[in-house]
This record gives sequence, structure tokens and C-alpha cells, in this order.
Amino acid sequence: MLSLKLAIKNLLGAGLRTWLNVIALSFAFVLIIFYNGMIDGWNRQSKRDTIDWESGKGQFWHPEYDRYDPYTIEDSHAPLSREILEEIEKKNLAPVLVSQATAYPQGRSIGVTIFGIDPKQTILKLPTATLPASNGTDYAIIGKSMAESANLSVGDNLLIRWRDKNGTFDAREIQIASIFKCDVPIVDKGKIYIAIETLQEMLGMENEATLLVTGEGFEFRELNGWVFKDNDFLLADMEKIIQSKKVSGSILQALLLIIALIAIFDTQVLSIFRRQKEIGTYIALGLTRAQVVGIFTVEGAAHSLLAILLGSAYGIPLFLWLNRTGIAMGYAEDMEFDLPLAEVIYPYYSIRLIIITVIIVIITATIVSYMPARKISKMKPTEALKGKLQ
Amino acid sequence: MIRFLIKGILRDRSRSLLPVIVVALGVFLTVFMSGFFKGVMTDMIDMNAKFSSGHVKVVTRAYAENADQAPIDLAILGVSDLKNQLQSAYPDMEWVERIRTGGLLDVPDENGETRGQGPAVGTAIDLLSPESGEVKRMGIQNSIVKGRLPEKPGEALISDDFAEKFSVAVGDEVTLFGSTMNGSMMFHTFVVSGTLRFGNSLIDRGAIFMDLQDAQIALDMEDAASEILGYYKHQPYDDIAAQSLTESFNARYSVESDEFSPLMTRLAEDAGMADYLAIAENMVGLMIFIFVIAMSIVLWNTGLLGALRRYSEFGVRLALGEEKKHIYRTTIYEAILIGIIGSFVGTLLGVALSYRLQTHGWDFSELTGNIGMMMPSVFRAQVTPSMFYIGFIPGVIATVLGNALAGFAIYKRKTARLFHELEV
Amino acid sequence: MKRMKKIFITALMTTALVGLAAQDADQILETVDKNMSSKNRIFESDMVIQGRRNSRTITSVSYSVGDKQSFTEYISPAREQGTKMLKLEDKLWIYSPSTDRIIQISGHMLRQSVMGSDLSYEDMMDDRKMTEVYSATVAGHEEIDGRDTYVLDLTAKVDDVAYHSQKIWVDTERYVPLKQEMFAKSGQLLKRTTLSNVQKIQGRWFPMNMVYKDMLKDGKGTEFRVNSAKFDQDIPDYIFTKAALKQ
Repeated sequence: MLSLKLAIKNLLGAGLRTWLNVIALSFAFVLIIFYNGMIDGWNRQSKRDTIDWESGKGQFWHPEYDRYDPYTIEDSHAPLSREILEEIEKKNLAPVLVSQATAYPQGRSIGVTIFGIDPKQTILKLPTATLPASNGTDYAIIGKSMAESANLSVGDNLLIRWRDKNGTFDAREIQIASIFKCDVPIVDKGKIYIAIETLQEMLGMENEATLLVTGEGFEFRELNGWVFKDNDFLLADMEKIIQSKKVSGSILQALLLIIALIAIFDTQVLSIFRRQKEIGTYIALGLTRAQVVGIFTVEGAAHSLLAILLGSAYGIPLFLWLNRTGIAMGYAEDMEFDLPLAEVIYPYYSIRLIIITVIIVIITATIVSYMPARKISKMKPTEALKGKLQ
Repeated sequence: MIRFLIKGILRDRSRSLLPVIVVALGVFLTVFMSGFFKGVMTDMIDMNAKFSSGHVKVVTRAYAENADQAPIDLAILGVSDLKNQLQSAYPDMEWVERIRTGGLLDVPDENGETRGQGPAVGTAIDLLSPESGEVKRMGIQNSIVKGRLPEKPGEALISDDFAEKFSVAVGDEVTLFGSTMNGSMMFHTFVVSGTLRFGNSLIDRGAIFMDLQDAQIALDMEDAASEILGYYKHQPYDDIAAQSLTESFNARYSVESDEFSPLMTRLAEDAGMADYLAIAENMVGLMIFIFVIAMSIVLWNTGLLGALRRYSEFGVRLALGEEKKHIYRTTIYEAILIGIIGSFVGTLLGVALSYRLQTHGWDFSELTGNIGMMMPSVFRAQVTPSMFYIGFIPGVIATVLGNALAGFAIYKRKTARLFHELEV
Repeated sequence: MKRMKKIFITALMTTALVGLAAQDADQILETVDKNMSSKNRIFESDMVIQGRRNSRTITSVSYSVGDKQSFTEYISPAREQGTKMLKLEDKLWIYSPSTDRIIQISGHMLRQSVMGSDLSYEDMMDDRKMTEVYSATVAGHEEIDGRDTYVLDLTAKVDDVAYHSQKIWVDTERYVPLKQEMFAKSGQLLKRTTLSNVQKIQGRWFPMNMVYKDMLKDGKGTEFRVNSAKFDQDIPDYIFTKAALKQ
């Protein structure tokens, strides 16, 4: 404890240089937390968006269903049992019926997937409540990017053609009731949402569904004839990509930390060189060399404590502010991987992230302080006392 | 006097060489890191550019409208001609053709009949000519799970999950079945040279990476390609330049009434990309700032140390009757000289290495090994105007400051005490 | 009284006519089937496909027996030459000489367009007799290209049919359809086929020109021209085997 006090005193005595060291290290510290916090925030937001908009608390799939293989869709539908219907009534499950179709905006033909979804559902954020009941006209909701690529606006009619359960062609016009904005690209691109009853009637699949989205209130149990896919499975891809962004970011963070540490290392070398008299005095006073090495190591390492204090002094208000306003990302999409990317990212700083960063900064600062201090143990105390350069 | 000082610096190695080397090294690191940070940061943002959008992208107007469906029937015809024109009109960019298509990947049994098949995403890039740089650009090398890159025509890479599912081994044949640019049936058999993992489930289920020329033959796309992507050769994405490039190209080549005339779009056409770039810019600025501070501390320490080492020399000079003021002044002049020489050398080296890394890139795929997903594995530095002066901040100012502080001690103390302290 | 009698007779005749019409419609369809189907047939034909940039003509020879077996060999252009297609029941195999591979097309892939045309593999495969699939009523008469036609409304009587209803214009004299429209369940017009160049071959009238058009999409449609047609030939059985594909 004494040595820590002494160390801090010594450091503060060194004035400007100490503060520059501390500033550099504190920037590295704050930046590392900021970068990781941003990625974590993005990750959490993406996950939450995907859960809110698409996956719910996991989904029950028809055994044939495979979301990445459109050819499986046709055979993936089964009737809803009384048990399931009760859960739907309680809003614990949202049934979704899926069908492939062709849409014909302005004489072009584009492949689309139609999702029949319960307008009364509350599990997913999809604005299904804006779907008016069929009144001779069938209504659909679509996402912003779908609307752009098909050149559709609210009130427009879109001709779609599909095949019913027997393979018989059917076609009709549906009217766009509303256009939603969603940060999860796969919820938007190439998808058309209509009332599930309408789609059931269109396909001749009364009371059937392709998948069931589970909600908050659903008490998990196996449902006969359905395969449960948890969110570890449903969100696996996203997790991987975001992790990879973390890896590539860590290269820069490591460089940054190294630079800040070089400065500390160099300062240590200098102070040991300059303060040989002091070292000699310590030894003459009966301190063992190890203890003297300890004093200097602690002194160097104390840079990190000051850096953390300083970093907190401006970092905490900065982070709090960023957390309130978020970081604007515009309406960009990670085109290649269809990653959800919100317009504004709110960084998320976990206790774990902060503790780990603090520990890394302290440990590395201690190591670089210790390395030059080792030299002390090789000094001749008499020479040192005289302040002779060694 | 300056000449005298230079002589002194040149003749006394311990006074000159070491400090100059340290200053040069510090400045070099500062300059190089600033270029490297900038390049890496931009590169990371460049992922989209590398995989799909290019820094700029040329497709036909009709293709652009239906881009989601990768409609090869709307591909660019006479692509080599257009590419040549692009190359001569915009020589500072690298132009590459790519083809995207879809089809069925079919695995034969011993009789050449279907044993298994699945839908596949097909991508054709110039895999075989090393100068295209496409393999590195897409980071293919480090997403290979089994086997190797295609080395000759007729070889292709397929996704590992697909290979596992249908037990396709490296060296086996697979047939891509689909339709040609003209709508005819397309069959092309490839030898699987290796398998890939992309880290994206949709593509991992079925994908094939083939050489551009193979694809052109298979898809009846002689002298045609889905798209031409343009990349800045010696620098990362520059939105202002890209915008004027896009405008000048479209004004010259793109005809609104001709749906098959080429249309150029740029990476930042998405509004969000610009924000992205701005954030990167700020991050880079901050990093360089930290680096300059850290380097200043190091060089200040060095200056201080250099002056401290010379206390006995100062003692002798004082004894010989030299004025304190004069000693101090010469020390500062020396520091300035050393700072300038060191910064000059360091900046030169830093810019040179940055330039080299800008044009050639640093392939770190060996470092990361197989990361199980497709990611660009080449970092490029970027030479920026600020590089030419940024090194002088730590190089000159910090060195001088260090020496000044060390020399200041001389002023503060009595000459007699100085003698004692300096052990003359 | 005289007047009453006249009305009565008219009414009687109308009833008879209506009754006759229903019966007629199915009979007309049956006659059409007789014209259009045969025990087996060999066609040499050109398919003209209009792309967005160009049009292509693909020449092929096809052998078929009933609606269950068919074998097609492509003759030109050079790129397609030697490509063969075998259809047995609901299975389809395609052979490509360049790769020496036989690829089986099944399930949902059958719904893809054939060579960029307005026809899917399934369209090409589904040639059940119309009387098996549809029940017909006569909706009236119309003149097409100077020929009088019955207009028949067809409604599917089985479930597994691509088009729920059709409207066909049948030449009243030759019993050959001159126009055919396919409708979705909702009544939306999906496809239109125009048939022309009706010739007498081996005692039957047969339309040698057909143009298929997807009505939902912009485009000029796909033309199918029969250059030569032979009916009820001796076609060796081995043609309808996978072994024949590789020959």
C-alpha cells in the first residue's frame, strides 16, 4: 500500500510526462471499450431486432421446412391441433403459413415468398394489425426494401400468381395496406405478408401452418409433429459474422495498446536510469532488490490506474451520452450477409467488457513496467548510490 | 555555427547516430501507422466492395433493375472492349469482371446419372490469372476447408456443407446445370479442387466458385459478364473521386433509352455507407492522435536521456568557460537538427513502406489461418497528405522539448553544484 | 293459338339445343382430342424463343407414346445438338453430350422454364387428354381468321391440374383448337396459345404452328412450329429407356 502511495506521488511529481503517458493509455482504454461496446451493442440490437421481427422465442418448424431451401416450402404444412389453437388464442404462438409465388409488378416477374400471418398476433413486431380484413380485396404488408425493388407504394395493387395445394395456378391482385421499415433484411427482401386465413384459403390449406413462432408466454414443451428450432440455431449466422468483426477490430486495438505501452516502457527505462541514486538509497535503507523492483513496477503500473481514472472521467459521460443518442449508421445494409443494421446503434458496455479491459490494461502496464525494472536487480548498490551511470 | 554543429553531429556517433536512428524510427512508425490505420479501417468497411459492389460497379441498365435475380441474360456484352476502355480511361483503377448465376449442382454416380443434387449459387471470378488479385480480394484462400484453389480450367470450389451432404471428395466431378445466357440448357462438369466455408448458411448449403473463363464457356457468355467491378488500385475507397468517376462514365456511356447500355454505380450510393465512412475517418483520426502522443513521449524521453548523458560534457564545457546560455542554445540547435534529419528519414521510410503496402497489400491469411468464413485477408495501407508532416510533430517538437527540459536543469543549478553532480 | 304453338316450339327447340350443347361440348372436346392425340407420334419441330435481346430457334425431333412416354432429341443449334430428354410418367432425365451426364429433374425443378421459353418442363410433360381433365360447355360461336369456331368453356373436373379453367376456340369444321386461354382459379387469364397453319396429316387436321404467351409478363411469347408430323408409327421401345439417352 505504501509503495502504491509512493508510486502515485512519484508519478504526479513527474508532471507533464506522466500525464501524457496517462492520456495516451486512457485513450487506448476508452477506445477499446468503445469499439467493443459498439459491436456488442450492434450484436444485441441485431439479435433483438431479429427476435422481435422474425424468430420470436424460437420457432416450431414443420419437419420438412428449411428456410434456405425454397423447394421444401411446398411440402411443409400441417394442420394445427386443438392444443396449438389454444396457445394461438392465448397469443403464445403465432402460426405462419409460407408459400412461394410470383409477383408481377409492371409486367416484370419476380419470385416472392408469401407469409400468411395472424393479423391479431402480438409476438412479432410486424405491423400485422394494419392488415385490414379481406373485403373482396385482399391486403398485404411489405417492407421498405421490397417496396423499393418492386416499385410499390401504399394503395398499389400487385398481381401475384401462385399454385394451390394441388398445383393449380391461381392469381389475384392484392393491395398494399402498409409498408413497414425493418432493420432485419430477411424479413423484408422478397417477402409479402398477408392474413393467414387469406393464404390458407388461397392455397386450400384451411387451418394449416408451416411454422409456429413462440412468444413470451409459451411454456416450452414438445409439440407433436413439429420440430423446435431455438434461437441459438436461428441466430447462429448473425452471431458468427459479428464475432468476426470483433476479431478484425482486435488487431487495431492491440496495436493501439502496444503503442501506449511503449511510451510507458520508455518512461520506465528513463526513470530507472535517472533515479539510480534513489535506487541506491532504497537498497542502503535495507530494502531488498526485489522490493525496489516492486516499487518501480508499481510506479509504472500506476500509470494504468491513473489512465483508468482519467478514462473514466471523460469516458463515462461520453458513453452515457452516446448511449442516449446512439450512433447514426444511416439506412445501410450489410448487403453481402443480410445482417440487420439499425439506423442508430446504441453501444452496450457490459460489466464483463469493462472488467476485462481494465485487467488487460493493468496487467500489460505492469509487465512493461517490470521489464525495465528488472535491471535494478543487476545494479551495484554502491555505484547506484553514487548516482554513477551504469 | 550550424555547420559546426552538423560536423559535431556527424563526427560524434553517440551524439548523432543513435538519436537520429531513434527519432527516425519513431517518426517512421508514426507515419507508417497513420497510413496503416487508415488503410485497415477503410479495408474493413470495404468488405461489401470486395464481395459484391466494388468501389464502382458497371452493369447494364436492365441488369441493375433486376439485380436481385442475377439475370445473366441481361449481362454486359462486349465486356472485354468495355473493360479495355475503362482501363485506358481510368488507369488508376483495377477492373475485374464477375459472373453471378444460379443453378443445380448435380453429383453423378458411377454411370454418370444423378446421385444427388441441390440448388447452388454460382460465382465466377478470375481465379486463374494471379494478376487479377481476385482470390486475395475475396479472401478465398483462408476459407478453404479441404483441397486447394483451382489451378487449371475445369476446376472449381464448392461449399463444404454441400460436399459433406453428398459425400463429394476433392477430385470428384460435379455438374452445374442451369441455363445459359441465351436460355439454353447449361451443363458443365467441374472437378472439385477444394471445398469452402463462407460462414453464411444460405451460401454454405450450395455454392460453386469457378473461373471466369470456364463460366463464360459454360454459360455461352463469350465476351460477356454480369458485372465489371472497379477498385482503386493504389488507395481505398474515395467517395468524392468515385462520384465524379461515376458521373463522367454515365454521361459518356449510359443511354437512358437503351436498356443494355452500361450503368455505373458507386459503393456509397447507399446513404448509409457515407456515414460509415465518416465514422471510420474519426476512428482513424483518434488512433493517429494517440499514436502521436505516445511517440512524442518516447522521443521526449530520448531527447532527455540524450542530454542527460552529456552532463559531464557540459561540465567540461562550462569549465572551459563556455557560457551556460551558449551550451543551452547549441543543445537546442542540435536537437532541432537531429529532429529534422530523423523526421525526414523516418517520414521517407514511412511513406515508402505505406506506399508499398498500399500497392501490394499485406496478406495476413497465413496469420489468421482458416477462420471458417469468407473475409478479405489483405490489409492495405494508405498514403495520405498528412503523412508528410505528421511525423515531424513527435520527431522535431518532442525531441527538442526533451533536450530543452534536460538542458534547463543546467540553468537552474549553480555551476559549482553542477560540477559536483556531474562528477567532473 | 298459332302464336302459342310457335312459342312452344321455340321453347322446345331451345331446351333441346341447350341439352344438345352440353352433350356437344364434350363431344367436340373428344373429337379435338382424337385430332390432337394419337397412339404415338413423331414430330420434327422448331421452337422460337423470344429473349429480351434476341430470338433463338431450337430444332428437335420428338417421339411420344400416349402421354406417359416421350423422348426428344435436339438437333440445332450446335450448342443444343445431341441433348436428349426422356420423360417417363412424372420423371424427366436430360442427357448432355458435352458432359456425358444424365441429370434427373424432379419435383419443383419441373416448374422451371424450358430453355427460357414460356413453357415449363411440367407444361411440356402435361399432355393428358382434355376430356380426362375438363368438362366443357359451349359458350358460343366466334370467327377466328375467317374460320367459324365453337367457343368452349372448360372447367377442371380433377384436382391436380395446372389451370383450373380454360377457354378454347375449336374450328367447327376441322375440330382443331385455334385459340386457347388458360385461367387461374380466380379467373385471371394466365396464358394464351394461338394455333394456326392447320394441315391435314394422315387423315387428321393438325395445327402446325402454336404460339404460347405468358399473359402476366411482358414479352412476345414462344412459338412452336411443327415441320413434320407423323402419327401411329412403329417406334421401338428401347427409345424410351435411359440407355437410349447416351446413344
